[in-house]
Amino acid sequence: MTSRLPALLRYQAALLLRSYRWLPPLLLYAIILAVGVRSGEPVLGSLGVVAVAVLPTAAWLVRVCVTGEPPAARAVTAAAAGPGRVHLACLAVASAAATATGCVAVPVVAAVSAPYNDDLTVGIPTGSAVLDGLLSVLACALLGTAAGALCNPPVLRRRGWPVPVTALAALLVLVASGSPANAAVTGLVTGSASGHVTLPLLPLGLSLLACAAATAVTCRLVARR
Amino acid sequence: MRLHGVGRRYGLRGRWVLRDIDLDVPRHALLRIDGRNGTGKSTLLRLLAGIDAPTAGRITGRPATAYVPERFAAALPFDAAGYLVHCGRIHGLPGPLAQRRAAQWLERFGIGEHARTPLEVLSKGTAQKVAVAQALLAEPELLILDEAWTGLDTAARAQLDAEVTARVAAGTTTVFVDHDPARLAGAATAVHRVEGAALVAVTPAAATAPNTAPAAVLIDAHRPGGPRTVPPALPASARTLPARPGDAGLRVTVAAADSDAVLRALLAADPAWHIRSVAPAPGPAPGGALAKEDGR
Repeated sequence: MTSRLPALLRYQAALLLRSYRWLPPLLLYAIILAVGVRSGEPVLGSLGVVAVAVLPTAAWLVRVCVTGEPPAARAVTAAAAGPGRVHLACLAVASAAATATGCVAVPVVAAVSAPYNDDLTVGIPTGSAVLDGLLSVLACALLGTAAGALCNPPVLRRRGWPVPVTALAALLVLVASGSPANAAVTGLVTGSASGHVTLPLLPLGLSLLACAAATAVTCRLVARR
Repeated sequence: MRLHGVGRRYGLRGRWVLRDIDLDVPRHALLRIDGRNGTGKSTLLRLLAGIDAPTAGRITGRPATAYVPERFAAALPFDAAGYLVHCGRIHGLPGPLAQRRAAQWLERFGIGEHARTPLEVLSKGTAQKVAVAQALLAEPELLILDEAWTGLDTAARAQLDAEVTARVAAGTTTVFVDHDPARLAGAATAVHRVEGAALVAVTPAAATAPNTAPAAVLIDAHRPGGPRTVPPALPASARTLPARPGDAGLRVTVAAADSDAVLRALLAADPAWHIRSVAPAPGPAPGGALAKEDGR
């Protein structure tokens, strides 16, 4: 039965791409980058913006994916492959789309930024800056996926609530101290001040756990509400 | 498949839509679920299809399942063939087979020219045919039809009737809900009614009105592109009728008791025969049943 997952991923990815419902979250992403990134600025600070922007984008893409199928079509796929697996495919496609967006932005932003710390006294190798950026993007995408999963159906189903709650949750997860996304971004910002790259391995691990837990809970809940 | 003490309610404190349902769904069964509007027929079908999980109790032994909703007007960004191929793969078919079956089923329902039409612009009936094709192309072991006939034209309804009869004969378990009390009346092996959150067994229509059950049935099949060779080893009561001019189809009359064996043989042939209709045979069967069949 697990062989159904590739087919579901392909279907959900095609659904997302062809529906053009990815456009608003990606516009949000582009706007945050346009406002926050200037060419010639220190690289790690700019990569912090790249990572921050991924989180609300991921949460929005989750909403797009889990609400993308009309109920009748969702019933058809759920009967064929199991409702939990269908939901898992939605979350995986949203998460992958957000991660891919961030991963495209990281090398571009790194290329137009200055490979130095904030006061331009310490050089930062572009390779390690890109690696730091990619891992931070991944941490933020996973946490954004978790936030989106917990603020949308099947958890939150009342009309009108999911959108503001998702926005609020994405904001909280970014600014709350102790949140792995906040830790990853803080790591980039302090790295930019000191000129030392510290890879956000612990935040990444915690984000992965949070995303796995949110995925497990929602995939189990989806057939039960 | 078995339902053990199954109950379902929506939300933590919602009322019980279904409660303490014990039901045995044997292989080969054709179950009809009756009940007034809003009694929980669709909820039961969603539980049987595995779309919803029971709040209480459990369901064991569900095989590969396909579900046909009523009024499938899907706002999906696919064309008909593309959607069917996706569905085929999700049902576990390899890609090339899914493509072949998708094309076959679009042709069988006479909507081959809509293969590249976006689902959003299909008429209601054509979209419903796509929903039915999605389920049949998977050749599931369990077929759940929630008023799947709604929106289909008369020919497509008859075709779905024949297809369900043939699939059941070939071993598929089918559970259906439909407004028309005559739907598959002779073929249903059991009827259950949802009443006050419980499931009540109703005596099968065939047992209450034995005089309407035909003594013999006429099976009309065709095989586009394939040879018109009759499968060997048909039951002794089977008679092949002479071919009609201009029609390459095969018509077989057979005693009602042996009709399953004929359907199985036709479906097992390679390439498989496509069953166009299964109807009471003219002659020894009561004329009334035949007239009713024609009038529908």
